[in-house]
Amino acid sequence: MQEPLEISNLTTWLDTTLRGIMPSMWVILIECVLVGVALLAAYAVIALILIYAERKITAFFQARYGPNRVGKYGILQSVADMIKILLKEIVKINRVDRFLFFAAPFFMIVASMLTFGAIPFGKGLHAVDFNIGVLYVTAVSSLGIIGVLLAGWSSNNKYSMIGAMRSGAQFVSYELSAGFALMTIVVLAGTMQFSTMIEGQRYCWNLFNGHISSMIAFVLYLISGHAETNRGPFDIPEAESELTAGYHTEYSGLQFGFYYLAEYLNMFIIASIATTVFLGGYMPIQVHGWEGFNQVMTFIPTYVWFFGKTAVLIFLSLWVRWSFPRLRIDQLLNLEWKYLLPINLVNIVVMVIIVLSGLTLTDLFPSLF
Amino acid sequence: MAEQIIFYILAAIIAVFSILAVTSKRIIRSATYLLFVLLATAGLYLLLGYNYLFAVQVAVYAGGVMVLFIFAILLTNRPGADVKSELAVRRVVAGITALAGVAFCAHIIYYNVNKVMVTVAQSELTPQQIGHTMLGTDKYQYLMPFEAISILLLACIIGAIMIARKR
Amino acid sequence: MSSISKYFSGLFTGIKSLLVGMSVTWKELWTKKVTQQYPENRDTLVISDRFRAELTMPHDENNEHACTACGICEMNCPNGTITVNFKMVETEDGKKKKVLDTYKWDLGMCTFCNLCVLTCPSDAIKFENTFENAVFTRDKLKQQLNHEGSKMREKKKVERPAAPVAKAPVVSEVKVETPAAEVKPAVVDTEVKAVVPEVEVKPTVVDAEVKVELPIEEAVKADKEIEAESKDETTEK
Repeated sequence: MQEPLEISNLTTWLDTTLRGIMPSMWVILIECVLVGVALLAAYAVIALILIYAERKITAFFQARYGPNRVGKYGILQSVADMIKILLKEIVKINRVDRFLFFAAPFFMIVASMLTFGAIPFGKGLHAVDFNIGVLYVTAVSSLGIIGVLLAGWSSNNKYSMIGAMRSGAQFVSYELSAGFALMTIVVLAGTMQFSTMIEGQRYCWNLFNGHISSMIAFVLYLISGHAETNRGPFDIPEAESELTAGYHTEYSGLQFGFYYLAEYLNMFIIASIATTVFLGGYMPIQVHGWEGFNQVMTFIPTYVWFFGKTAVLIFLSLWVRWSFPRLRIDQLLNLEWKYLLPINLVNIVVMVIIVLSGLTLTDLFPSLF
Repeated sequence: MAEQIIFYILAAIIAVFSILAVTSKRIIRSATYLLFVLLATAGLYLLLGYNYLFAVQVAVYAGGVMVLFIFAILLTNRPGADVKSELAVRRVVAGITALAGVAFCAHIIYYNVNKVMVTVAQSELTPQQIGHTMLGTDKYQYLMPFEAISILLLACIIGAIMIARKR
Repeated sequence: MSSISKYFSGLFTGIKSLLVGMSVTWKELWTKKVTQQYPENRDTLVISDRFRAELTMPHDENNEHACTACGICEMNCPNGTITVNFKMVETEDGKKKKVLDTYKWDLGMCTFCNLCVLTCPSDAIKFENTFENAVFTRDKLKQQLNHEGSKMREKKKVERPAAPVAKAPVVSEVKVETPAAEVKPAVVDTEVKAVVPEVEVKPTVVDAEVKVELPIEEAVKADKEIEAESKDETTEK
């Protein structure tokens, strides 16, 4: 094997052994269950790691140490928090719409779970590879907002309600920009399938391939993706100082945990889609002609590349979060409708011109890339 | 086999939630049930292998239209607070009419669908194919309707702006 | 035209200011951490001397304190935290005299306002900065401040020329018998302040004044004067 550290070796071995001992229908069933379990486990583990990382990095930005009591360097802090949140009572609220109140967190978690499933984590670590990958991701992630709106409505609480309204306005607006920014790259890459998109970025990332236009699209995607996750300067839906906790004020225990988990995972999902679409996904850094260098780079497993690139983007998002003050609702909508969206629309036209007139880097310098 | 089971589950979801959507008195619940119906429909498309249609169904209906529905309901004041039950006679009449409609449609579909429709084994539909079909001018290509809808939407946007600007 | 240029200049200045903000936080990321790691840094921990954590009654090496059991601290305490229990004894020359029996203080009720210390005419109590006061039951918060078998410092002792100089000013005031002591506090109080520099001067002085029935303005003025000349006075005495 050329890449001894890949997990795909293990999965291929598992598949062949299973097929050797039982009929293919059972193999498919077992593999589906295994993939589901693996995804769920990864979902939870990534959330725990993200919570720990966020708390640490936040602390560093504020000249603190962050959690450092539970385990060495506080590494078990988020595990302890998880156990606590699992054991907490789910408080029954009077006069809520019980069905919607219980259904709302599931919308949130299912939406982020569906998006999570379509992310290519590495070579062979890709649960579903739709030929409409990018469109699928934008479509499915838009379901999460229904969870927020229903939570705000069914909580029978004015703060929840206001939080949900703000969240709805914000999400619907910024989803547009995020979608357009991704479509700009779809124009460049000529495909919506994640695997082909990554393969096309072997020697030149989309970020550089479309130079000006790609860079603008990248920044726009990061901004609007960040806004979609209700974090950082865009956290008016759950502005603590005004709305206690916004739409999830009334939730407790595991239900609150769902929202908490989904928020962190959405941050991860945004970062990983940006990685896949703009930064070459799990593809190692490869330079045309440098065979030895490429060999070394390929030796590092693809999932390490993927998580490394994603981690950089998550750090960027945290950096932004702790740099800027919260936007007012009118500033927030101004930013989207008066700046991001017009720039996006112009940008997509510019990208079409760049692609059609052969001004991409791969077209200009075919020998380099 | 497995596909049939999934189909029956989805069909049951669609049927049950459609009925719930029209019988529920709380409008926000109706909207949620309708959302389940739309999602199950998207599931049917996925089952048929129409990935593109699935994504569009989810993005446009579930993610777009239903979000706007719910958003609009959230803006209303105590929706459904003073909804009264209809008279028993009217209910019965409405039920009979609905059943008659169902029977009529079922009859037509059951006896005629095999005469008109031919099931073709469709290879996987790529977005490129869809794009070319949408924006081509050949036979069985749909640039004209596409542009007509674009103009319709543009008219809607302009109309909305006019209404919003009216003082 | 101007609105268009305004749009673009606004856009670019906005981006620039965002980048400046991010560079500031980037520098902040690498600054030294300021968090106090409390139980580990116990040895090097610096707690301000003026931090009020625990009321104490200083006893000297002969197990003697300066409390006259006058009860002014008890009267001044806004929460009723302090209880001064005294007993009447007869001195050799036939006078009746108050003697401190038990001095009770409830940490759980205390707001650490420092009124008791400020108004104490004999400088018998003070706040220490020993802040680790957590206990397991509420009863343990109720403390007795005077030690077992302790007694009041005798004035004779102080009047001797060989007496320690440090405590002289305070005790000379206390020397005056009880009825007189009621009038004196204003002066004593300010002198205490001269020794221990205090921040919250005004309210406490006013409070003390009411007790002693002196006009407020006068007291404040006197207070300021004395504070100005505090050094000279102490050396004189």
